[in-house]
Amino acid sequence: MTEEPYRWVEAIQNRREYIHEQLAAGSPIVALICADGVLMVTVSYGQKKLFEIYDRIALGAIGHPGDIERLRMSAIEVASAEGFNRSACDVSLRRMAAYSLSPALKTAFEQIYGSPFLARLLFVELGHHDEPDLLLQLDYDGAFKVNSSAIGDRPEPFAVISGRESSAHAMERFLHDRASADLGQSEALELAVEAWTVGKIALSDEDGADLPDAEAIAACRKDELSRGALEAVILERKASGNSTFRHL
Amino acid sequence: MNTFHPQAEETFARMPDFAEVLRRHGVLQEPPPIPAMNASAASAAATIGGVPVTQATTILAFKFCGGVLVAGDRRATAGNLVVYDRADKVLEIDQYSLMAIAGVPATAWEMARMLEHTFQFYRRSQLQELSHEGKVRALSKLLRDNLGFAMQGVGVVVPLFASYDIQAATPRLYFYDVMGARFEVADFAASGSGSPSVRAVLQYANAYGPRPLPKMNEEEALLLALRALDTAAQNDTATGGVDRHAQVYPIIKIVNEGGITTVPEAVLAKAYQRDLQSLPKNAVLLTTETE
Repeated sequence: MTEEPYRWVEAIQNRREYIHEQLAAGSPIVALICADGVLMVTVSYGQKKLFEIYDRIALGAIGHPGDIERLRMSAIEVASAEGFNRSACDVSLRRMAAYSLSPALKTAFEQIYGSPFLARLLFVELGHHDEPDLLLQLDYDGAFKVNSSAIGDRPEPFAVISGRESSAHAMERFLHDRASADLGQSEALELAVEAWTVGKIALSDEDGADLPDAEAIAACRKDELSRGALEAVILERKASGNSTFRHL
Repeated sequence: MNTFHPQAEETFARMPDFAEVLRRHGVLQEPPPIPAMNASAASAAATIGGVPVTQATTILAFKFCGGVLVAGDRRATAGNLVVYDRADKVLEIDQYSLMAIAGVPATAWEMARMLEHTFQFYRRSQLQELSHEGKVRALSKLLRDNLGFAMQGVGVVVPLFASYDIQAATPRLYFYDVMGARFEVADFAASGSGSPSVRAVLQYANAYGPRPLPKMNEEEALLLALRALDTAAQNDTATGGVDRHAQVYPIIKIVNEGGITTVPEAVLAKAYQRDLQSLPKNAVLLTTETE
């Protein structure tokens, strides 16, 4: 069927729909740049979702655990080999995503007889010295966005991924007016949990034109945290050793 | 050899080994084969592959009441030449592990780097710390892989390894031989060309001093380490003493349940100065009279 272009496009479209369906239940992940570092927050239901990749790189992922594991291992391998062969300063999230992960994801997605990666990834990198921090969303088809949200052109101090686009948009709208790179760690954590809750509500709320009010957020948050576990990590700006990753 | 379907092998991925990852990425080569040796060469004392073993350095480590103290002089030599007088031979491998190196620096530093990255890779990929036993074994394996180089006389490394064992809640100290055998010691260990003197000093202090090494406090332990290294420098040209002019002191690090601390140079300078002043004056007079 690949000999016929139309059917190839159709197959790819079917594949997209199938993957979207598979990812739809994914618990949102919020990344925030704050004064103390780069924070990542989610609520997990039994399975870990936030990981250390290298000294200054962390990963949050939703999707199939087997696929997440393969991508996580690839990222760790690429970063570790580079860090050993050259130096830890030469490990770059942008290069890793653009030269290693993105092409591999695209190939797997478009080879319609093979299995695609059922995963959506959010990488964060703490900038060296005065370089800006990097927030990178990498999708199952290899497409990636750096420091961007759907709302404006200016770089935002946050990035989110979620099972549904509407949920991600709700979180972005919520964070657009509230997030600031000057927040302290505890304020940023509080804001990230609220944003996560907004995303969680939007997952089950089909129309979702308005953001939920504070009461609805508090109720949902209490309910979800009684069932799942809050998972939060930070890449600390003032870490004492080389490795900046820490669980909160 | 292997009857697995190739795909099945990929599906059930083995536990990743960092060295193997590096080989796959073309970063690391296979270790060299071990050259065949005739019996006379093998039995000749203190030579490997016909080349005399040069371990021009002094490193020491002992347990005291505040953990394990690891110290090393700063001199790097090649034959009769002093190459460098600020070498750092006590290396931090992770939060709780110290490796002190004696032998060929190029190999030793690379080994320490390999070890550090191996522990990190394990932690990140397996989402847990490598066990204490696993860390101790990893260094054994590196030494074993290096045997081919060592026997060609170009990469002899005889390290010490000190680490705080979190599970057993106790500090541990090991020395290794060239082939990778590891020996856990109860009180002290030394390696390098100055080690005979150091061993004698530590043995004497442990057996006949005011109190055994494991009962010493930090101040006493520091003083003993400085004196032991000073003694080694007196007897061994390849061991650097204290260069007070340039403010070059030995490197001394301590590992315990709180992690690793480096003793600041100012503290060493003060301890050294105090020790000099407390020594009887005739010790200096005697040496000048013999001239």
